Amino acid sequence: MALLTPYSKVPELNTATVLLVENEEELQSKLANALVQYEKDFNVNVRLARKLPLPVENKETRPRIDLIVFLVNLLSERSLQSVESSLAHLHSDCFLGKVCFLVTDARCGSHTQERLVSVRKLAAAHQCPVLCAEHRTVDGVNAAAVRLLNILKVSAGMSPIATTALYLSSLTRCSVTSDLEED
Amino acid sequence: MDAQVRSVLRRVIQRIPNKNIENLLKKWNCLSADQLCALDYTRPKWMIVEQVTSFCEENRLNLKHITNLEMIYHIENPDKGVWHACQLTEAQGMDDAVGVDLTQFKEQFKAHLHGVVRHISIKIKKHEDEAIWIRIAWGDNFSKPNHLKPTYVVHHLHTSYVFISNLMAKHKIFLCQALVIATKHGSIKDGHLSTRSLTAMRELLLRRYQQVFPNAHSRILQERNTLPSHPCIGKEHSEHEEMRYQMSCEAFGHGPTPKLETAVYRLETRYRGNGNHTLSDREEFFRGVVRFSSSSLLDSLRHCVASGMAEGPVTPLLSAITQRGRNYFVITDKGPGVSSQASAQRA
Repeated sequence: MALLTPYSKVPELNTATVLLVENEEELQSKLANALVQYEKDFNVNVRLARKLPLPVENKETRPRIDLIVFLVNLLSERSLQSVESSLAHLHSDCFLGKVCFLVTDARCGSHTQERLVSVRKLAAAHQCPVLCAEHRTVDGVNAAAVRLLNILKVSAGMSPIATTALYLSSLTRCSVTSDLEED
Repeated sequence: MDAQVRSVLRRVIQRIPNKNIENLLKKWNCLSADQLCALDYTRPKWMIVEQVTSFCEENRLNLKHITNLEMIYHIENPDKGVWHACQLTEAQGMDDAVGVDLTQFKEQFKAHLHGVVRHISIKIKKHEDEAIWIRIAWGDNFSKPNHLKPTYVVHHLHTSYVFISNLMAKHKIFLCQALVIATKHGSIKDGHLSTRSLTAMRELLLRRYQQVFPNAHSRILQERNTLPSHPCIGKEHSEHEEMRYQMSCEAFGHGPTPKLETAVYRLETRYRGNGNHTLSDREEFFRGVVRFSSSSLLDSLRHCVASGMAEGPVTPLLSAITQRGRNYFVITDKGPGVSSQASAQRA
């Protein structure tokens, strides 16, 4: 089974690549547009995918991926299931600061709360951060893009202070407190 | 003008929104220019009705003119009421292309119906786009034709499709016989397609939408990707996406689709789940009805397939809507396909 590995390719100069994985393919294009427009200091490449594993045909042309973002729509059960099955296709090296979860619709209804708890448990088990985003307005999408760019900068090694992705992830990783465990 | 004529006129005018009345009356061409100017369309409807009625009385118009007005209204606004499609089969004559011409059709149709029903009023009009509109007011042996509930029939002469609206069951046999005789076919059968919009029905059956046929170089995406995406954004699954879009367009057409509203599947199958034992051991059918509704059903189904919500290839149960041109299906246990012998009545 071909796993997606983070360090198998040489990085490009002044470029960072982020992979957005989303089952519904709605938010990812808006987010991609915001990401490429916001960053002026370095080039941002965005790859859009529906799920992992990625098609083998693109392996040669695909640049090195610095950050993998899983977009989960909490209103849909299928979204979460797709992410869970995609996680199996990542090499374990990826989880050292190169994976991040972005959830949307966290405030809409009761089922979303349960799913949010599962996402947080999943993220805590893999030591990854969880971001909550509001995707229905332009401002919300832009805010999410800015936050992702901050994480991307560190993951791609562009941060001026010597912050590594691993260090950042140990600060930002999701933690599951004991009262959530009891749910 | 007697009471019946007045009530028909009143009914017609009341149905039309005020802003459309002017155009309609102009097209009708039965009121003089002065009378048309004198009408004030901002007044309440009942005033307009009264004014028009009085003008019609001045001009000594009779039932023929009023039914003409009603017909013009229906031809301009075909998407009112519920329409059902029927198909003529077993074309007679050596060559299908011979067909029937308009005068022959008119004569035969009227002759047959006048022969079997004592009191009946038939009006036939040919519209520009080769469609024949027929308005029938039915009476019986004792009563005059009822002009308040006319049946409308639309037929395109060189096709085998007939579209019917507002037909009562007791008159169905007369109409079917007349159509079969007048068009020189052997029989007529139910098309299992009913919608509110005649335009959608015609587009679907007469294939007036953009169909996509499978071929080796199936790439209609060049037209589709009109939004230039940023060069830095790349799609991993673009091939799959293209394939899905191609599949969806093959099943449901490309571009704007006919606006169907519902599709109904009646199940006459046995229950086959593994959970509930009381249901699964029965001999009789587990009857159920699955109904899809949408403001534009074919668009929704196409989006479901193109976005991956429904897994491809498109199931023949759904693609039969466009391929066979129907929206009422009966599914039986005999096979995975669609039963072509629907014995139940129209939805």
